[in-house]
Amino acid sequence: MSAPAYTVRTGTRASRLFGWGLLALLVALVAAPLWADRGMIQDLFFILTMLVLAQFWNLLAGYGGLISIGQQAFVGLGAYAMFGAVIVWGVNPVPAILLGGVAAVLLAIPTAFFAFRLVGAYFAIGTWVIADMARLIVSQWQVVGGGTGTSLPREARADMWGVETIAALFDMRAAAARDVLAYWLALALAIATVAGIYALLRSRQGLALAAVRDNVEAAGAVGVDAKRMRWSIFLVAAFGTGICGALIFLQNARIAPDAAFSVVDWMAYVIFIVVIGGIGRIEGPIVGVLVFFVLQSTLSQFGAWYLMALGLLAITVMLIAPRGLWGVISDRTGLQLFPIQRRLYGGRIAKETP
Amino acid sequence: MSMNRRRLIQTASAGGLLAASGLAAPALAQGARIRIGYVSPQSGPLAAFSEADQFVIDAFAAATGDTFEVIVKDSQSNPNRAADVAQELIIDDAVSMILVASTPETTNPVATVAESEGIPVLSTTAPWQPWFIGQQGNPTDPGSWRPFDYAFHYFWGLEDVIAVFAAMWDQFDTNGQVGGLFPNDGDGNAWGDPVNGLPPAMSERGYTIVDPGRYQNLTDDFTAQINAFKAANAEILTGVVIPPDFTTFWNQAKQQGFNPKAASIGKAILFPQSLEALGESGHNLSSEVWWTPTHPFSSSLTGQSAAEMAAAFTQATGRPWTQPIGFVHSLFEMAADVMGRVDDADDPDAVAEAIAATELETIVGRIAFDGAGLPPFAATNVAKTPLVGGQWRLNDGVWDLVVVDNSTAPQIPTGGRMQPL
Repeated sequence: MSAPAYTVRTGTRASRLFGWGLLALLVALVAAPLWADRGMIQDLFFILTMLVLAQFWNLLAGYGGLISIGQQAFVGLGAYAMFGAVIVWGVNPVPAILLGGVAAVLLAIPTAFFAFRLVGAYFAIGTWVIADMARLIVSQWQVVGGGTGTSLPREARADMWGVETIAALFDMRAAAARDVLAYWLALALAIATVAGIYALLRSRQGLALAAVRDNVEAAGAVGVDAKRMRWSIFLVAAFGTGICGALIFLQNARIAPDAAFSVVDWMAYVIFIVVIGGIGRIEGPIVGVLVFFVLQSTLSQFGAWYLMALGLLAITVMLIAPRGLWGVISDRTGLQLFPIQRRLYGGRIAKETP
Repeated sequence: MSMNRRRLIQTASAGGLLAASGLAAPALAQGARIRIGYVSPQSGPLAAFSEADQFVIDAFAAATGDTFEVIVKDSQSNPNRAADVAQELIIDDAVSMILVASTPETTNPVATVAESEGIPVLSTTAPWQPWFIGQQGNPTDPGSWRPFDYAFHYFWGLEDVIAVFAAMWDQFDTNGQVGGLFPNDGDGNAWGDPVNGLPPAMSERGYTIVDPGRYQNLTDDFTAQINAFKAANAEILTGVVIPPDFTTFWNQAKQQGFNPKAASIGKAILFPQSLEALGESGHNLSSEVWWTPTHPFSSSLTGQSAAEMAAAFTQATGRPWTQPIGFVHSLFEMAADVMGRVDDADDPDAVAEAIAATELETIVGRIAFDGAGLPPFAATNVAKTPLVGGQWRLNDGVWDLVVVDNSTAPQIPTGGRMQPL
């Protein structure tokens, strides 16, 4: 029997070109401490951490159909677990970031247990309620300052792994070296997040996930274990969000419950980013976070007006382009930078599309 | 509608403030000017603290010519934002020194950032315990507390508020039962602390504090607290409460028949606006008083007495004086004095050394980091200013803050005796 006359491919010419461009961009980003000043390093850190939060929320909402508005629980708990490990057990802050992820998963298990019994809007509200409970409970933890909050101890900041090496390497002050360290960690986390989600979506599990999102009953009928899929992505998203929260507050060096569990900073902005960029696509949060960053750096001094402008823009995009900015671009040009669609080429079935 | 208009005005005035500070002095010697950053809550729930910012900065610019360039940042009453703007000041604006004022939620994030970046920071208008202890890694373990290299703070402490409140309550007979209203925030945790806060210190003075536990800010039901105070037959009320919560509490207390003889509340009733919200039931509420026009001090910058400064503020803005005017002004007095004693404003260690060596008579009294009245762990970084007690009186529709006890600072004159509610 001869080989089949057609092949299944996911890559496109644009995506292969983009792959090389991405590689060049990553090299430039790793080398950022050589060409960027401190203000820029901090801006890049902000962009990368918001991108990670947005990617995980996109995984939940855009692919898993789990519209959670309680992800700030995992940001806050991850950050507090890191602070707690540093202050109570004297763990070095860098490995303590991983504990942040573990703590977030530990919270995610009971959260999922209860919240998965709820559907749609009830699920969203349920996750929010659980996040607020986490905030109130952490506010009672006196060792890390209760409702007052606390600062990362100076010794811990000084002894952070890698800071001395970075300071010597680039001949910079310890404070600047800490920024570089946090930035590199954020870059590594962002690459791992995007690559991991992309790999997941291209795998069999990715197909199953798309099936679950589109129709739970139909997915079940073709043999997809919807419950297992949802559990696993919820826990993965909690782990990544917890690590990201720990990293954000490692760079902040100061924590308080209202800051760590802020629904505006870690949820409203994240939803904004995903909605603006395009939900259900890996490219969406990337476009969204860049738009959000530009808006924030130009308009944030206008206080309440800035927030109103963000809300207005989000509503406009939802009405005019419900699939976000990337949705508009992709629909017009067919461009896919992270293609997950399987296309059939060759044979009598289809011709290669440009 | 009126909310929108108020927002608009707030935003516009914040914008005007920024513009004014940038243009305050002619750009004669741009490179030579000393850059100073100032962070305060100009919008959001704490905005009343920053009412006098523009007035003070204008006076500072007029007094110092073009020696300084002041870069003003708004914390929006948000601790995350306060830390961000402090980093902007240090990294983007390359300031030589940062000034920060008003509540631990503003001062602590800014001081933490500045200390970690090695930039001198002068802070005020937050009791020193939440400032110093609140910035330590583990606030419950005094053995782990460390002094700061670049962060300095001046204000009064809990020991002063304890002495002032007790002295006011001593002025008439009560059963000594005190209801304590402490939220779970920077101030509430410090005031209600069972080891270093009000409860142990008050019991030494013969007052028993009934503490129903920490509540969350912006609570809308205080029934549990009111019942606890009624059950203990409390004749005195104390606490450190944010203004909207105190209005809620006080109205509910009246409805539910809790009528203490004295109510001494920190933070909630600093401003005449808060009393206007309470109406007549605010008459004779008492509070800590850190600055009034009758304080016998004068500015080292303008030579004005406290009374003259308050009058100038009212003339310039049409609004009644408030306590932060003196303290915001004193921050700029300190900046001018410190920078006058260093050769190189951009040498953080020299500036920090100059701050530590300060001995200045300011509009809020003498400021010197000599450790007077302080435990050894805080002696390097904290200086104390005097505190007295006062009562709000409603005279012909105008709210007046009368000093009723000066046993802690006899140089400040009283205007009457404590009256029961």
